[in-house]
Amino acid sequence: MPKSRKILLVDDSPLVLKIIGQALEKDGFHCLKAGNVPEAMAHLKNEIPDLILSDYQMPDIDGFAFRQSLMAIAEYRNIPFMFLTSIADHDRMREGMDMEVIDYIIKDTPIALVISKINNFLNSIRERHERTIQELSTVATALNLYSIPQDAPAVNGFDIHFWHRSYQNYPGGDFIDLITIDDQYTFIILGDVMGKKWGAWFFSFGYLSYIRAAVRLCVSEGDLSTKSIMQKINSVIYHDPVVSGLLSTLSLIMINADKISYTGAGDLPLLYYNKAEGMLHKISSAGLLLGVSKDGGFDEQVFTLQPGDQLLMVTDGMIDKQTERGKKTDLKGFENELTRHLGKADSFTDMKENGFLNEIAREQIDDCSLIFIQKK
Amino acid sequence: MILQTSPLNNALVATVQIKEGNMALADEFKTELLTLIDNGNQYIIINFEHVIYVDSSFLGALVSALKHAMNKGADIAVVGLNKDIKSLFQLVRLDKVFKIYTSAQQALNGA
Repeated sequence: MPKSRKILLVDDSPLVLKIIGQALEKDGFHCLKAGNVPEAMAHLKNEIPDLILSDYQMPDIDGFAFRQSLMAIAEYRNIPFMFLTSIADHDRMREGMDMEVIDYIIKDTPIALVISKINNFLNSIRERHERTIQELSTVATALNLYSIPQDAPAVNGFDIHFWHRSYQNYPGGDFIDLITIDDQYTFIILGDVMGKKWGAWFFSFGYLSYIRAAVRLCVSEGDLSTKSIMQKINSVIYHDPVVSGLLSTLSLIMINADKISYTGAGDLPLLYYNKAEGMLHKISSAGLLLGVSKDGGFDEQVFTLQPGDQLLMVTDGMIDKQTERGKKTDLKGFENELTRHLGKADSFTDMKENGFLNEIAREQIDDCSLIFIQKK
Repeated sequence: MILQTSPLNNALVATVQIKEGNMALADEFKTELLTLIDNGNQYIIINFEHVIYVDSSFLGALVSALKHAMNKGADIAVVGLNKDIKSLFQLVRLDKVFKIYTSAQQALNGA
């Protein structure tokens, strides 16, 4: 199911708000109602609708002045805007056309036609949007720009899987990499660049390049410590003005035989399922977000996995969700739901195919990633 | 404007006026904060009492502003975090980066 589409309806007549609002809601829209322009601006501060449908003649600030003030604010300028009017004034119409108004709807128009106009318009925007994303993805693929690998590597003694969903088809700031050095060492990387969709996606490549270089350099120098690799990555990012303005989380794991070394930077805890105990534990790291401070305060934890033990790495998109009372970050809720799927021979397949991961994708408000590691 | 400011002794209290600090507002929030820092405010107390949720972009903007403040010899404290946001700060160790207080008055005393 696509997410409910939001319309901001602005009209000084409570009756119009009620009638059109009800019709829109009946058709599956989420309708924000404002009786005047200040109320509409207050709504916009909290959420950006898919479309604004505004009356034309209103006391104090009229529809044109409203449109003009939106045009002056970069964040609001591109919200599709339709006038709802009872006056078919040609001169005023032309004036409106100069303000990039999408359409005019005369208030006498049958409501079913209004809804159909809105639906057609939003569908055409969605199609155009999807086409653009598709074209950009094609370019990124042609340039070999991946922030998520194609396949998980085969590592002796382990089953490794990953799962990633972008948010509303936008590439996001999450990045995953799996680096196999030789038969002995495999590095698993999960990070999340905090920032805007495209910006975060672009910078995730910059981060990944630093991380790959740091891993290779440390290994070639015989320095097989996740803490020291993390310190090197952090130091470069801290000093580099190009990437230091953006921040990123990072979980870095090194697998060597049955031993796991882990260092984290501002990341969510690893979730470790101990098969013998039948319990889920959290393994938290001490490090700060990459690039925040010069030394980062990193630690390194080394532990051994026994056959059947499972280890999960997640980004915040997995635990943020939309609830009836608003958005919420809920690690505990995620752990509770996750536990039901752990401890099985086919836990990952179970999560993937029996709806758990798809349910998270449905509720998501950010891109989300999960890496699943199981000791055979 | 996302931030509404008022002086409190030698500090500036900047109250976040939105309910949800998300990606769409992170840039504006950062720009407003950087302006306050560049205007010479040495101690900015950011009040989150009206905010019910922040995402990672918004947190990123907050941390970037703190880095900028530190480079200018200024400092930022945060107050009025609800339970969820406070847990999030702890979860990603931002409680080690920011001075967190219950109220602006406490932030003033702790400065």
